[in-house]
Amino acid sequence: MTTIFGARTRRNEDAKLLTGRAQFVDDVELDGLLHVAFLRSEYAHAKILSIDTSKALTRQGVVAVFTAADLGDYWRPGPLLVAPPPIPNLVFNEATQVPLARDKVKHVGEPLAMVVAKNRYIAEDALEDIVVDVEFLDAVVDIEAALADDAPVIHEHLDSNLAAHAVQTKGDYAAAKQEAALIVSRRFTYDRGASASIETRGVVASWDPRAEQLTVWDTTQAPIPIRNGLAALLGLLESQVRVIAPFIGGGFGPKIMMFYPEEVLLPWAAMRLGRPLKWIEDRQESFTATTQERGQVHDAEMAVDAEGVILGIRDRFVHDTGAYDTYGLTIPINSQCTLLGPYRVPAYESEFKVAFTNKTLVTPVRGAGRQHGVFVMERLLDIVARELGIDRVEIRRRNYLRPGDFPHNHGILFQDSAPLTYDSGDYLPALEEASTLIGYEDFVDREQPRLRAAGRQVGLGIVSYVEGTGIGPYEGARVTIEPSGHVRVATGVGTQGQGHFTSFAQIVADQLGVSADAVHVVTGDTAAFNWGTGTFASRGAVVAGNACHAAAMAVREKTIRLAAEVFGVSADQIELVAGHARVIGDLGRSMSLGQLATRANPLRGAVIPGTEPGLEATAYFGPDRGSTASGVHAMIVEVDPETAMMTIKRYVVVHDCGRVINPLIVEGQIHGGVAHGIGNAFYEQLVYDDDGQLQNASFMDYLLPTATDVPRMEVAHTETPSPLNPLGVKGVGEAGCIPTGALFAQAVEDALGGSGLEILEIPLSPNRLYELMTQARSTL
Amino acid sequence: MIVDGRYSFAAPRETVYALLQDPEVLVKALPGAQALERIGGDRFEGVMAVGVGPVTAGEFSIHVELHEQRPPEGFSMRMEGKGTMGFVKGAATIVLTEEAGVTVMVYTADLKIGGKIASVGQRLLDSVSKAMTKQGLEAVNRELQQKLDAHAPQAPHTPPGPDRPTVRQTSAPDSRPAPSMRSKVGGPRVVIAALAVIIVLLVGVCRGLG
Repeated sequence: MTTIFGARTRRNEDAKLLTGRAQFVDDVELDGLLHVAFLRSEYAHAKILSIDTSKALTRQGVVAVFTAADLGDYWRPGPLLVAPPPIPNLVFNEATQVPLARDKVKHVGEPLAMVVAKNRYIAEDALEDIVVDVEFLDAVVDIEAALADDAPVIHEHLDSNLAAHAVQTKGDYAAAKQEAALIVSRRFTYDRGASASIETRGVVASWDPRAEQLTVWDTTQAPIPIRNGLAALLGLLESQVRVIAPFIGGGFGPKIMMFYPEEVLLPWAAMRLGRPLKWIEDRQESFTATTQERGQVHDAEMAVDAEGVILGIRDRFVHDTGAYDTYGLTIPINSQCTLLGPYRVPAYESEFKVAFTNKTLVTPVRGAGRQHGVFVMERLLDIVARELGIDRVEIRRRNYLRPGDFPHNHGILFQDSAPLTYDSGDYLPALEEASTLIGYEDFVDREQPRLRAAGRQVGLGIVSYVEGTGIGPYEGARVTIEPSGHVRVATGVGTQGQGHFTSFAQIVADQLGVSADAVHVVTGDTAAFNWGTGTFASRGAVVAGNACHAAAMAVREKTIRLAAEVFGVSADQIELVAGHARVIGDLGRSMSLGQLATRANPLRGAVIPGTEPGLEATAYFGPDRGSTASGVHAMIVEVDPETAMMTIKRYVVVHDCGRVINPLIVEGQIHGGVAHGIGNAFYEQLVYDDDGQLQNASFMDYLLPTATDVPRMEVAHTETPSPLNPLGVKGVGEAGCIPTGALFAQAVEDALGGSGLEILEIPLSPNRLYELMTQARSTL
Repeated sequence: MIVDGRYSFAAPRETVYALLQDPEVLVKALPGAQALERIGGDRFEGVMAVGVGPVTAGEFSIHVELHEQRPPEGFSMRMEGKGTMGFVKGAATIVLTEEAGVTVMVYTADLKIGGKIASVGQRLLDSVSKAMTKQGLEAVNRELQQKLDAHAPQAPHTPPGPDRPTVRQTSAPDSRPAPSMRSKVGGPRVVIAALAVIIVLLVGVCRGLG
């Protein structure tokens, strides 16, 4: 068999993307298209007294204006997307978003009215004609204050702002604490950020009354669940609804959220008005109308023996879910589980509370809470190492799980409700390789002292992490050899730049003996494939990839069987090479895959009972549980003591995502993830005032790292194949951004060595770092 | 957000208080005032068209309620402004004290600011609102000087200005289009003075946005 799997193949989709021929939602133009704009709440928390749309309706070019009152039975809160895992004594209070606010607004950006007009200009002008009368209510902004007894209650059906309360434990922390030689405890905070996809959200909906067919183009990561949900909401057959998630300019999590108000309103209004509708989110809307992530406050404690070996950890944290908790407990459970990292932790007591606040909803954004757990764990280890005088690399080495420990069951439940069990891993080689690549010993022994003597503040960081990836339930794929000889692969996951058109093609190409560019992958169109869940949790390659693999194997078998019949030989004498099936050792007896596909679908004669026409197969794959990827990041930074501005001198990633399908794509995912992580650690922060007003809803004030802030990365791979899937792969989509906050904190502390500075919060910024440096100086 | 400051006028506070009731004076500190109407008691409604240079940020409807009027010592007010750029809601207090012929006006406003003003204009709010407040007050001060010059050629020698009495030779914002004033205020026109402090914030912010 050829070895396209694992090759550094160039991406099939890039020519289209780079020459502007890829279709995005905003490229959809239809006859009679009308445009939609939304009136969004300027208030974080207010009672709606009245909404007067009469003036807007008289504006020339306005076709319709809808408020909650116009929706009738269609107005209903969205579904809870992820049911909480069966954690004993779990408290979970459900409150999900509504299509248009009816009695109260609960966050700035929540839609109040929808205007349909001839064009977007008119629609936006008409928004200004709508008069909303409200009664101000005190806003709930601070996560901890949200849970105070006297906090205003956001959801009237609940008696507090408590969205959830969960405790997971393993071992006996109290006993561990008794035995400990050292106990360190700290408070850690991790503030909100935006996903800031280059493409904002958008929806185009079109109803064809003759075909009785609804077509929706949507920037979603989950086209099939959107299709299923819309069919149910609108009383249509699933087959009457086609959802297309074409090329998408970045998903990063918020586009897996469903149902956004716009997603349910545009199809409804398109059917009602009998006209196709388009809405494209503008950047300012995106800041408050697209979901966000990050806000958590942890009070954590680590008990270790005299050698720095972890005896136990206790963590209590509060998680900010924003105005609604539609995404269940995925993020706090990710934080809770990922905190354990690649380490052996005999006793763990972890308790979290989730609070409703008058801010935009929180749903997973790349990393999905894992970075919060990693930050707490890695910081605690750094503090313990310092207190005990143990080297940073050494303390990690001492606490790693060993190859013989796998599969390792941590004894608590993960976000997919399965026990948190690591399938495979080997952490030490990655740590050693990262130390070598960054030149750890040389830096610590020679380089840093030399530069310090020259007055330069240079520091090194090196941290570990794991990432639960590739969770179920399942994905599917259909592989077809067409009469042209081209291979077509259809799968249900949406694609947002991950390279699916190439990595899935590589998997299939190997099985069918064709080149990767002869395989045409279709993703995100329910008309092409309509079973599946979506792109999230770093699962595309693991779950959809293995489904492609299974379907390709079935087609391979069909092809070989047919060729054997044609040539009158046994199946084991047939090989698939260069787009042909041929008899091994007999170059003269060969037939192209296209010819075989034509033979497999004859116009006359009979198909033998028990067989199927064509060279096509559909297969599904669902892993028992997620596979655990891991890695080590290291970097060297220099901090300017005057401005607190920081420069990354070197950045090393050693990553293990099991078997690598395409190193180019894996590295691209890591590069993007690290860029995301750098933004998270040092630039990006959504700042809310005490009234719940977002203070920096533009790229003037919300800083993203630019090309000059993201260093060239040195990426290396280690491979411990996953035993949970035939390809042995693990996910990689989120890996790059998960350890970055912890890495920054350690490196900056190291650069400012001896200043007494302890970094217990993310994001930093030059400003914030300067404040911390000043505080540290004054307390010395 | 809290907006506060002080400004010194080289005149007795009765004069300053009267000045603060003169719409002809105050309109110069209030670019874009279109109408202001007493709707009963101490309540007023008005419209400001806020436009700076080529940018029209739109209209703000303003609702103000005065209370605790203590001429010539000062007054308090509650106000709400709404417009396409956002909203302002809050309370303000103005206190006048006099020493050696110089009246010190201390103003404090506690404002909730929302919408685009807050989310996009945040970084401009502080600096621009301060600068614009100063410009507005300087315009009032120039009016004061003119009046004093007209009525009493020997103006007090103490120079006026913010915080410490200094002569301000800043270029006047007269290059801006002169706003039209169709004030229907019958009662205490002092409302306009109070609004000045608040509205210049809006103007300042919107200018920043432009």
